[in-house]
Amino acid sequence: MSESGFWALQLLNALQYSMLLFLLSIGLTVIFGLLHFVNLAHGALYMMGAYIGVSVAAATGSYWAAFFLAPLAVTAIGAVLYFTLIERLRQAGPMNQVLVTFGLIFIFLDLVRMGWGDIALGLDVPQAMAGTASVLAVEYPVYRLFIIALGLLIMGALLFVLSRTQIGAMIRASVENAAMASAMGINVQRLFVCVFCVGCALAGLAGVVAAPVFSASTGMGISILIPTLIVVVIGGLGSLQGAIAGSLIVGFLETMGAVLFPELAAILVYVLLAAILVIRPKGLIPARG
Amino acid sequence: MKTVMARIALATAVSAFALPAFAETSVGLILPKSGTYAALGNDIQDGFVFALEEAGRAAEFKLVTEDTEAKPAVGLSKARKLVLQDEVDVMVGIVSSGVLGAIRDFVDGAKVPLIVANAGNDEATGKDCSPYITRVSFSNAQVNRPMGKWMYDQGVRKVYTLAPDYAAGHQMIDAFAAAFKAAGGEIVGGEYTPFGQTKDFGPYLTKARQANPDGIFVFYAGGEAISFVKQYGSFGISKEVPLYGSGFLTSPLYVNAEGDGAIGVKTSLHYVPTLQSTENKVFVAQFEKRYGRTPSEYSVQGYDAARLLLGALAAGAKDRASIAANLPKVRYTGPRGPMEIDPSTNNVVQNIYVYETVKDGDALTQKVIGEIKSVRDEPNGCKL
Amino acid sequence: MFQQTRTHTAVCLAILAALLAYAILGGYFAREIVVEIAILAILAISLDLVAGYGGMVSLFNGAIMGVAAYGYGALTVKFEMHPVPAAILGVALAATFGTLVGAIVANTAGIFYIMATLAFGQMAYTIVFQSRWLGGDDGLAGLPRFDFEAIGIDMNDPLVFALFAIVLVILVYLAAAGLLRSAFGRTLCGIHSNEARMRALGVTTWIPKMRALGTSSLLAGIAGILAAQHTQYISPELLHWTVSGEVLIVVILGGLGTLTGALVGAVAFVALKHGVGGYTDHWHIVVGIVLIAVVLAGGRGLFGQFHHLLGRRRNRAADASSARSHPHA
Repeated sequence: MSESGFWALQLLNALQYSMLLFLLSIGLTVIFGLLHFVNLAHGALYMMGAYIGVSVAAATGSYWAAFFLAPLAVTAIGAVLYFTLIERLRQAGPMNQVLVTFGLIFIFLDLVRMGWGDIALGLDVPQAMAGTASVLAVEYPVYRLFIIALGLLIMGALLFVLSRTQIGAMIRASVENAAMASAMGINVQRLFVCVFCVGCALAGLAGVVAAPVFSASTGMGISILIPTLIVVVIGGLGSLQGAIAGSLIVGFLETMGAVLFPELAAILVYVLLAAILVIRPKGLIPARG
Repeated sequence: MKTVMARIALATAVSAFALPAFAETSVGLILPKSGTYAALGNDIQDGFVFALEEAGRAAEFKLVTEDTEAKPAVGLSKARKLVLQDEVDVMVGIVSSGVLGAIRDFVDGAKVPLIVANAGNDEATGKDCSPYITRVSFSNAQVNRPMGKWMYDQGVRKVYTLAPDYAAGHQMIDAFAAAFKAAGGEIVGGEYTPFGQTKDFGPYLTKARQANPDGIFVFYAGGEAISFVKQYGSFGISKEVPLYGSGFLTSPLYVNAEGDGAIGVKTSLHYVPTLQSTENKVFVAQFEKRYGRTPSEYSVQGYDAARLLLGALAAGAKDRASIAANLPKVRYTGPRGPMEIDPSTNNVVQNIYVYETVKDGDALTQKVIGEIKSVRDEPNGCKL
Repeated sequence: MFQQTRTHTAVCLAILAALLAYAILGGYFAREIVVEIAILAILAISLDLVAGYGGMVSLFNGAIMGVAAYGYGALTVKFEMHPVPAAILGVALAATFGTLVGAIVANTAGIFYIMATLAFGQMAYTIVFQSRWLGGDDGLAGLPRFDFEAIGIDMNDPLVFALFAIVLVILVYLAAAGLLRSAFGRTLCGIHSNEARMRALGVTTWIPKMRALGTSSLLAGIAGILAAQHTQYISPELLHWTVSGEVLIVVILGGLGTLTGALVGAVAFVALKHGVGGYTDHWHIVVGIVLIAVVLAGGRGLFGQFHHLLGRRRNRAADASSARSHPHA
C-alpha cells in the first residue's frame, strides 16, 4: 500500500466516523437547544432503531425496508414518550429530566433484553453495497461511502431548512427566545413536538445505519451516550453548526489518534473535551452567543 | 436468592446409575444473569443442569443461583452470601476474570471449592492458584499458544496482531506471539484497541494492511467480535490479509450475526459443536433436544463443571475439603475430548481445535482442520 | 439554605436505627448490604454537598472514590504501608485531585460542568485501566483492613465492619452538616442562588467553588477507603462514569439539597435493586419505572416529597388554628 493510499483510507475512515457521530448528535443537540430538555434516553432510541431495524430486515429480507421503517417506528415511540412524559417535564428542571431519562434508559435496556435476547445481533448491508469502490485511488467499502453521503445529505438538508425556510426561521427564533417567539404568534408548542420527533427519527436512523457496522447489542444505548454528549458539548448545545464542527473534530481526533498515538487514543477525546470547556465554557459555536 | 427447581424438573428423569444415596450437595452457581454477559451465564447454567439431568442425579443437588452482574464487588458479596449464609458445599461459575480476581482470596481463605466455568485469566492457575480453585474451562494462554506453531506450519511467516486493550487481550496475544516467534515467525506489528467502546476498526485494519503481513491474528469476543469481523469483511481484504484468531472471534454463539466476513477465518478454540467424536455428537443431539439450540463452548464448560463435580462425589467426596481434594483427580472423556486436571496448576488439560468457519446452506458452521492434543499450561509460579 | 429540621433528624435517626438493627439481626448478606448502603450514602452526601447546595452537578464522585481507593491500594499492596497512614494519604490524594479539577472547571456551569467533570473522571478511569502496574482491569487484590486488634476490635468480623461503616456515615453526615452551617456553606448557597450577586459583594466565586469540589472529593475519598477495605480488592470499574451516574440517581431519588435525602436515596436504591433482583433478572425495568414515578409524583425525591407534605399539613393546621384565634384575619 502506498503512503498516500494509507492516508486516503484514514481520511475516509475519519469522515465516515464523523458522519455517524453527526447523525447521532444532531438529534440530541436540537432537542436540547429548543426544548431545553436533557434527553439521555437518546441513546436508548438509537438502540431501538438498531434492534427494530434488525427485526424488520429479518422479516422482510430487505435492508431498505429497515432503513425507512425503523426511524418511523422510533419516531412513534418518541411521540408517545413526548405526550406522556416529556411535555410534563419540560419545566421540571434538568435534575428531574436526568432522572426520568435515566429511568427510560433502564426500561428500554430490559425491554430489548426481553424482546431480542442477550446476544448481540447483526444486520447485513444491502447486496448492492456489499463490495468496495474506487475512491481517491483506493478501494473503500461502498457502505461506508453511503454513510458519508447520507451524513452530508442530511447536513445539507438541515442547514437549508434552518436558514432558508420559514419553519427554520421559526425554530431559530424559538431557540433564541421562546417567549418572544410565542408572543409574535409562533406556535411554539407545535414546533416542540415537530422538533422532538425529528430528533427521534434521526436517532433511529443513526441506529439502523450503524447496525451493519457495529452490530446491535444491549449495551449500545449507554456506550454511545458519552461520544454523543462529547460531540454536542464541544460543538455547543443547540446549534447545527456546532454539531457539525463537533462531530468532525471528534471523528478526526479519534481516527487520527488511533493511527498516530494509539496508547493515548482512549484518553485523547477527554483531554480535548476538558481543554475546550476550559477555554470556551459554552462550547465552540453555541446557539445563543 | 433463587433456588433452581432442579428437583421438581427431574421428577421424571431416567436414572441410569445405581449410586448410593447420600445427603444433598448444595451448589452455589455464581454467574452474571443481567448485563452484557447474561447470555454466557445462562449458557453455563444450562450446561451444568443438563449434565446433572443426564446423569439422572439432579435430585441430589440443591442449586442456589446468584447474579454477579459481572462486577467484582457484587460478585464478592454474592460469594460471601453463598458461603456464609447459604453454606454451599461448592461454587461453580465466574464468567469475568475481574470477579475471579476479587473472590480469589476469599475462596482460598474460606476453603470453599470453586469450579471456574469460564474466566480465563492466566494468573488464576498461575501465581494466584489455590488448592480450592479448579478451572475446567480454559486459560487465555492455553487457547492461543497452539496457533503459533500451527500457523507457522501452514506457511505464515509475518503476522500483525489486534486485540482489545485489557488484561485478557494482552494475555491472549502474548501467548500466541511467544509461540509463533519460537516456531520461527515474525510479529511485524500490532495494536491494542480501546476496550469496550463503540469501535470503528477501520483505522486499525488500514494500519494492519500497511504492515504487509501474511495474516492478522486477533482476539475479540462478543459484540466487538461481530463488529470486527463485519468490518473486516466489508473492506474486502480477505485475499490480501487472511484473518486468524482466537476462537472467540467466530464463536458459534454469534457467528451467524457476522455475515460473510467470517467465511474462511481460521481460529483455535477448546470446543466447537461440530467435533466429530461420538461423545460430542450425542451431547449436541441431546442438548438440542432439551434446549432447542446448539450448545456453545459456554454450555460445554458448564457441562464439564458438573461432570467434574459428579466425578468427585463418585470418588467419595462429601464435604468442602474432600470435594476440593478430589476435583483435580477426575478424568473422563467428554464432548471436548479427553478431560483431566493438571494437579500442578489445577487447570484443565484438554485438546485445542483449529477450525475454519464455512458456509453450510444458509448458516455458518465450523469445520475442524486441526487438533492439538492435551495442551497443558506451565505452572508459571503456581505452587500447589 | 441548609436547615436540620426535626424531620431531618427524625428520618436520619430512623434510618440509622434500621441499618443498625438489620446489621445486627440480619444474616451475613444483611451486613454486606449495610456496607453497600453506607458507601453509597457517603458518596451521595458528598455529591449533595456540591450539587444540591452548590448547584454544581458533578459526574465525578465515582472516579474520586476510585482515586482514593487506588491510592490506598497502591500504598498498602505495592509499598506495604501501614493501613492508617495509607488511608489518610488516599483521602488526601482524592481531595487534592478534586480541588485541582474544581479550580479548572470553576468557570463552567450546568451541563458543561457535568461534562467537564465527566471528562476528568474518565481520564482517571482510562489511566488506571491501562496501568499494568496497578493491575489493569484484573485489579489489585489483598488490600488490608484497619487493624484494631490492640483495642479488641476485629475488623474482619462482618458485623464489626458493618458497624464501622455506619459510624463513618454518621461522621460524614455531621461533617457535611457542620460545613453547610458554617460561613463557607452559606457562601456556597449564596453562589448557587445568584453568582453575580455574590461577585458584586466581593466574593471571588471560583475559590469557594473549587473548595466545594475539593471538600466533596474528600468525603467521596472516605467512601473509597471504605469500599476498598470492604472487598479488599479494587478494579478500574470503580472509576467508571456509570458509578457516578448511579450516585447522581441516588441523590435525586432521595431528594436533592436535603442531605437526609442522600441517606434515603441510598437505602431505597439498594433495597429496590436487591429486592427486585431476588425475583427477576430484569430488575432494570422496575428501577426505571420507580425513578420515573418519583419524578412524576412531585420531583422532589422521596425525602423531599415527604418533607413537603409534612410542611403542607403543618401549614394547613397553622392556618386553621390561626383562623380560629383571629376570625377576621
